[in-house]
Amino acid sequence: MLAEFGYGVLLVSFVVTIYSGIAAFYGVRSKSSALVESARRAQLLTFPLITISSLTLIYLLINNHFEVSFVYEVTSRSMPTYLKVTAWWGGQAGSLVFWSWLLAVFTSAVTLRKWDRDAEFLPWVIVVSSITLTFFLGMIVVFENPFTRFWLVNGNVEPSMFKPAASATIFTPNDGQGLNPLLRHPGMIIHPPMLYLGFVAYVIPYAFAMAALITGRTDDRWTRITRRWSLWAWLFLSLGLVLGGRWAYDVLGWGGYWGWDPVEIAAFMPWLTGTALLHSVMIQEKRGMLKHWNMILVILTYSLVIFGTFLTRSGVLSSVHSFANSPIGPFFMGFVTLTLVSSIALLIKRWPELKSETEMKSMLSREALFLLNNLLFMSILVVCFWGVISPLISELLTNQKITVGPPYYERATGPLFAGLLFLMAVAPLSAWGHSTVQTLGRALWKSALAAVIVTVILFVTYTQNFYALLGFFLVALILFATGHEFWRGARARQKAQNENFFVALGRLMGRNHRRYGGYIIHISMALMAIGILGIEIFQTETQGTVAAGEALNLGDYTVEYRELASWDSPGEGVNYTRAVVDIYENGVYLGQLYPRIDYYFDSQQNMTIPGQRSTLRDDLYILLVDWQPVSSIGATFKIYVNPLVNWLWLGSITFLLGLIFAAWPERDPADEAVRRKVTRDNRQASAAD
Amino acid sequence: MTETTTPKRGVSLWVQIVIWAFIAALLVLVGVILNKRQQGTVQPGDQIPDFTLPLFSGYEYEGQSEVKLSDFRGKLVVLNFWASWCKPCEQEAAELEEAWKMYEDSGKVVFLGADYVDTEPEARAYLKKFGITYYNGPDMGTRISQLFRIRGVPETYFIDPDGVLYYVKVGPFLSVDEITSIIEQKLP
Repeated sequence: MLAEFGYGVLLVSFVVTIYSGIAAFYGVRSKSSALVESARRAQLLTFPLITISSLTLIYLLINNHFEVSFVYEVTSRSMPTYLKVTAWWGGQAGSLVFWSWLLAVFTSAVTLRKWDRDAEFLPWVIVVSSITLTFFLGMIVVFENPFTRFWLVNGNVEPSMFKPAASATIFTPNDGQGLNPLLRHPGMIIHPPMLYLGFVAYVIPYAFAMAALITGRTDDRWTRITRRWSLWAWLFLSLGLVLGGRWAYDVLGWGGYWGWDPVEIAAFMPWLTGTALLHSVMIQEKRGMLKHWNMILVILTYSLVIFGTFLTRSGVLSSVHSFANSPIGPFFMGFVTLTLVSSIALLIKRWPELKSETEMKSMLSREALFLLNNLLFMSILVVCFWGVISPLISELLTNQKITVGPPYYERATGPLFAGLLFLMAVAPLSAWGHSTVQTLGRALWKSALAAVIVTVILFVTYTQNFYALLGFFLVALILFATGHEFWRGARARQKAQNENFFVALGRLMGRNHRRYGGYIIHISMALMAIGILGIEIFQTETQGTVAAGEALNLGDYTVEYRELASWDSPGEGVNYTRAVVDIYENGVYLGQLYPRIDYYFDSQQNMTIPGQRSTLRDDLYILLVDWQPVSSIGATFKIYVNPLVNWLWLGSITFLLGLIFAAWPERDPADEAVRRKVTRDNRQASAAD
Repeated sequence: MTETTTPKRGVSLWVQIVIWAFIAALLVLVGVILNKRQQGTVQPGDQIPDFTLPLFSGYEYEGQSEVKLSDFRGKLVVLNFWASWCKPCEQEAAELEEAWKMYEDSGKVVFLGADYVDTEPEARAYLKKFGITYYNGPDMGTRISQLFRIRGVPETYFIDPDGVLYYVKVGPFLSVDEITSIIEQKLP
């Protein structure tokens, strides 16, 4: 009953969405404001409709309705309720519903606010987002229906939405298959929705860009309207990537955070263009340049979101992230084609109208360096795209599969990332319009000198590895140059306004969120680079089987095996096997760690939980690989020392703070003026008392 | 304004042609591959055609430097696709070897490792690192993996004594029991 209800609501929202798109299109073409208004209301209706359908699905998930095949596939009785709720986005069908729901939320948010201000764009925004939503809902309704149930027909169980035969009865399995235990990690629960939020939020800038192309309003209006959307989309996408890395580091058991897996790259590619967009949009706003480029970037970002999702969900690319073999491929392919062809056709049509208002004057000006930054991001994109596509080409042409692994990506993108780090240090110091070697040199030399000193110190005390030293030099340069920018700005304000230094710093930052938030993000990138350099260049590992009382050595660390215990926890449906090891560093006792293996009865899967000792200097990461079940004499451990890796997570937190600061709405100047006047009036009034 | 003085110019025809050709090529490529993927892997119940696996030195089968599937008629074959660059493969390496040790002396089960898209020094280092002793060799020209239309590594195919595929495992095994229970289904 509930399943039919949920499916019925989905069908209704599908029809409403189609109507909304068509009505908006004809409304704007025939200049009928009544029709456009009707389209808008229909659009607003999609949000409550998909919400109801989603709530129905969540109800089924929580209450163990295993007759619904989706519920059977992603939950089991022993799972806690919060995991059952998150199973909503844990499987293909549910995640498509989640995706549609987000899209409805975002589009409603856009059409509810400032309708009058953006009235010329919004009908087209509705058209674009309705087409997208129609596609996703269509995919759910036709191919990936989460409400499909099991039916018993002549002794066979078959999945179907409606009663397949008169004699058919509903079949309810005793228990579900449960969620893959690898995915029962906090990072994994938040990682997919963050990525989806990021992906879906890019629909809005894209829809506005399309609207700008269609209406011919090709000035910077669309970028101003969607600036904050791009920033939030970027925030969520970045968070999704970082959380995925953290999950891999904790769970996958090889001490890695990023494997250049096709699915990772598919999520990374829109991030690259999105990052480039954040920078180049500023040039359009400040200098009226790069209009073409911004259009290309926004189209690329959205196309990469769709294309990447398609490649990974249809099974074209194989990966550890793969979804089950799915029939959505050809349908999805059609949508990818529609998106690419219509965007590019529109862009070519409007190309002459997107002319720059000013010319590039200096190769060292801020805009020139931003352009260089964009080129570097694009180069990384090309490397990634080629890495993803070339195996397909070779498979097609030579009938042989050739895969490119992490070494390809690391070698090809390493210098490009180094270039980006350098620009991150230099570009904020250059001026809009005009900069020379002299002006830039004057702004930079102190920081450069300090960075050289740091590098020399590191050379003497820490490492002689050239790449590491180069990396650390660039990191130090960013930190000093950016720190210097904060200091210089605050000092100038301190003198001019006669304020305390910290008050001056606070007010300075409060006046320009985007700029100083951006600087904080640059600092966070430098911190993350420290962690990446550490784990990529200095990671060491060892593996060995030891009896109780014996020890394994790695670097300065000694890991001594004490004991091992194994017990069942029937309530959770898990068997725990836990080893106790003593940790020494150069003979000094540091404490105990408890690497363990959890065995999940319902899914018959093991999960390895490392024993971890984290400091800013390094992570000692111990995995219990195997043990002797009968005598518990010997156990096999794998040990990693991951130097500096915690800077990566520290940088991630800094990054989040910087982003929130940058995206936080600034006070409206007019508002501010009124407020200040009021306080002054109050003060005068109280003085008069 | 400079805009009024410079004539508005569109995208030149050849650039348009290049762009559309690129998009078309990309879509055709992806479409063909998609079509191929839609066929899926070989299905349980399929009779597996004969194939030849050359073996690494030190991993020969009864002195032969290559084996055919038909050499093992009457035995149950566990065919594992792996690669030295594949991290999930490491998860199951010890389990596969342990399972092999359990059946090696019975003579009823054969384990074959097909090394997928790899280089020999790395592959040998991997085999040594995990102490693997069952028959292993490179999947030359990805011929065997294409025969099975594998989607990635690790994947393991269980072929019964009559040469009929009866079980496919995509992704790593997580315990020895998982491997043995699949073998026991068909062991005569």
